[in-house]
Amino acid sequence: MMKIYPIIAAIGLLITVVSVLKKSPFFNFLGLLTLIYGLLKSVGLITAPFPAQVMTMYMAMSVFSLFIYFSIQESTFEALLEPVRAVLADDNKRILRVLIVFIALPLFAGYLTFDKVKPNYEPPVSARIVHPEPVSSIEFRGKPITIIGLENPLRKDAANMAGNLEAGKKIYYQNCFYCHGDDLDGRGHLALGFNPVPPPFRGTDTIAQLPESFVFWRIAKGWRGLPAGSTPWNSAMPSFEDLLTEDEIWKVTLFIYEATGNKPRS
Amino acid sequence: MADVSPSKSLIKGVIKLTLFLGVGFAVLFILNKVLSAPTEDGYRFFPVIGSRVWVWIIAQLHLNFAAFVLGVPIFAVSMEFMSWRRNDERLDRIAYDFTKLFTLAYTLTAAVGTILMISLPVLYPKFIDHLMKILGPTWWVYVLVMYIETLVCYYYFYSWKQMKGSKKGTHVAIGGLLNIMGITMLLITSSWVGYMTTPNPHGVSETGELINRWQAIKSYMWIPLSLHRLFANVVFGAGIAAAYAAYRFITAETDEQRAYYDWMGYTSAMISIGFSLILPGIGYLLGVEIYSFNEQMGIQLMGGFFAWLWVMQAILIGAILMFVNYYLWISLNKMPGGERYFKYVKYLFIVNLLGYAVWLTPHSIALSLEEARRMGAYHPVLGSLGVMASKNTAVVVSYMATFLSFTIFKISNKEPIVSWAKLGHTIRAAVIVLSTAAAIAIGIYSYMVTSAVRVKVLSPIQFGIFFLSIIILFVLDTMMYKGAIVIGEPRWGKMPERSQYALIGITVTFTWLMAMMGYMRSGGRQFWHVYGIVKDTSPDAYLPTHGYAAVVSSIVTVIFFALIGLLFWSIMKLEKVADKGGAQT
Repeated sequence: MMKIYPIIAAIGLLITVVSVLKKSPFFNFLGLLTLIYGLLKSVGLITAPFPAQVMTMYMAMSVFSLFIYFSIQESTFEALLEPVRAVLADDNKRILRVLIVFIALPLFAGYLTFDKVKPNYEPPVSARIVHPEPVSSIEFRGKPITIIGLENPLRKDAANMAGNLEAGKKIYYQNCFYCHGDDLDGRGHLALGFNPVPPPFRGTDTIAQLPESFVFWRIAKGWRGLPAGSTPWNSAMPSFEDLLTEDEIWKVTLFIYEATGNKPRS
Repeated sequence: MADVSPSKSLIKGVIKLTLFLGVGFAVLFILNKVLSAPTEDGYRFFPVIGSRVWVWIIAQLHLNFAAFVLGVPIFAVSMEFMSWRRNDERLDRIAYDFTKLFTLAYTLTAAVGTILMISLPVLYPKFIDHLMKILGPTWWVYVLVMYIETLVCYYYFYSWKQMKGSKKGTHVAIGGLLNIMGITMLLITSSWVGYMTTPNPHGVSETGELINRWQAIKSYMWIPLSLHRLFANVVFGAGIAAAYAAYRFITAETDEQRAYYDWMGYTSAMISIGFSLILPGIGYLLGVEIYSFNEQMGIQLMGGFFAWLWVMQAILIGAILMFVNYYLWISLNKMPGGERYFKYVKYLFIVNLLGYAVWLTPHSIALSLEEARRMGAYHPVLGSLGVMASKNTAVVVSYMATFLSFTIFKISNKEPIVSWAKLGHTIRAAVIVLSTAAAIAIGIYSYMVTSAVRVKVLSPIQFGIFFLSIIILFVLDTMMYKGAIVIGEPRWGKMPERSQYALIGITVTFTWLMAMMGYMRSGGRQFWHVYGIVKDTSPDAYLPTHGYAAVVSSIVTVIFFALIGLLFWSIMKLEKVADKGGAQT
């Protein structure tokens, strides 16, 4: 199925080239849209395909922008509208008009209706919130801890850094790697059992965007500690408060930053 | 329509304002007597749509009109000042037309403000009692300033024709006073909003007791919000003026009218866009203050629940940039020599399109289970495009392309005569290429550093390079095109109607954006009337869905433009009466 998209892109390119040669802005417009659609969908051959929401946004933007571009000069704009006007008003195009109005449009409307009402056994699309807002303070095993502005106390202990990192590594592979992966890339062997899959720690868009206090809070409280706002949350993160000590959480936090080459946000 | 004497206009202003306030207080008094007592928690409920939506709509409408009547005088007086210094009648006429617009809009602003003044204490008596306890004296200063502003405004408008020639300087000074009053009003109202969202702990205790009134006024958000509103008001006011000019252009009956309104629309739109360049920087400052006040609120607004609204914001801002470029590209058609520059338009379009695509790429995406499975935690491509490093770069490059569209429009009917013109073109090309390359390089490098370095060092440098480049280009072109040969004057009025719809599109999008971002700023308080101090215990103390908020924001926008349409219609009707010799308002 995926292999059809480069063909669509090629057809779009062909229409574009021919329409430029024939000086037909209308078909140039359609050709460019087809080309853009084919190229965007072809991304799925190389990596994960673009989700439907993003495709809709990109295509809507393309239609809007191309319409803008083709209406800058009067002659191009008139030529763009000419086929539409001809179909609507030209007596010679009567058959085409009938085909469009009585066949193509009802079929298209029918398809849209079918697509909307057909039984669907997929779970509904979910809108994910990437960053929950942190709480000001938590109670960790009965002890109040202020989260905002909290820093990892082990970072100041340079003398024992190597030992703490080693301990953090051990804690990680005993508790976290099942989901977050042995390469800290979010591809642990349990990962695909969850939706959404656990976040990777590699890359610059997860822990690199967060202060360590945030990571501490998430490990300590898991999904149960997520804020009341923006519920329901989609998270399977367990609460490690009962399994790890405060010191152990700081050690594993230290390790995941070190192992991924990230630095906590200050 | 300005044949009423200035002194009579003052009496008219006092009567009108007193009438509004009097009616407001009287209705408030009667409603408080007639309506049943508020609930134990301190609420009354508005029928059908509920108190929150009612106040939401009225407050946003009032804000829109207030933004208009605060923003337009700034550039109307600037225009008058320039017309006075340059002795340019056309600038004086445009300044007068703008003044006519905002003077009439004052009445609508006051009418909607009166409804808000009645609604809040009736529906939220306990909360308003608290607000009066903490910031009450500022309300009375507000009323005083409102009187002075209205009087100055009426005097400014109705004395226009009498104060020409030697008195022009004094008239401009009166306009200056009008703006000072406007900015004072803005500072007072921003202090109320600032207090509700980011209350200063030195001003009020956690239990809501006043500690120090000045500190309560001086909240975290106060100054950044005031600055953001001040510049946004100019952008918005100029946008409305551009939409007015566009409407007049479309309905014009003579070439002379079309030429004038084409020029008015162009001037207003360029002021609007020029000032909008400053907004991201001030918005950044506002964001920093919100984070400084409360990190949770900052994350909630930027990366949490409200992150989706930023995607909507990106779509709308991208559309505005496209409209602006479109207007400038289409304007090349009216410039003698403009056709020489059409060859560059396709490149500028491609840059804008790519910038738009990156700018609106979401980081948080609505996903089906299947898509989530294939994608993982983040999409390998979209994950990189959805973060600020790429967005800052996209916006800087798009703004640069927009500035170039403006530049080619400005120089398209001129030929430089300076001996170093060739070198000048080379320098211009070098500045454009180097600054764009630097912005992209910084954007790529931003992925490799910590977020603190990106936020505090690289992003400001990126914006700094952009601003520096446009200053250099502006100065360079001013020098290069001094005394240039003019191939031909712009054919003002020779524009297709669709170009005017682009101007209206810009303004409608701005208004929509204001409504949505206003909701977001207010929603940041979540279930608090005053964040962390006065809890909202009404049944509406929850965040509505984005879809619902978008619908309410859209309804506000439609109502606003219906009222603005009424305003435009009134002005045109008054002009017709004046043309026939009636001329009394």
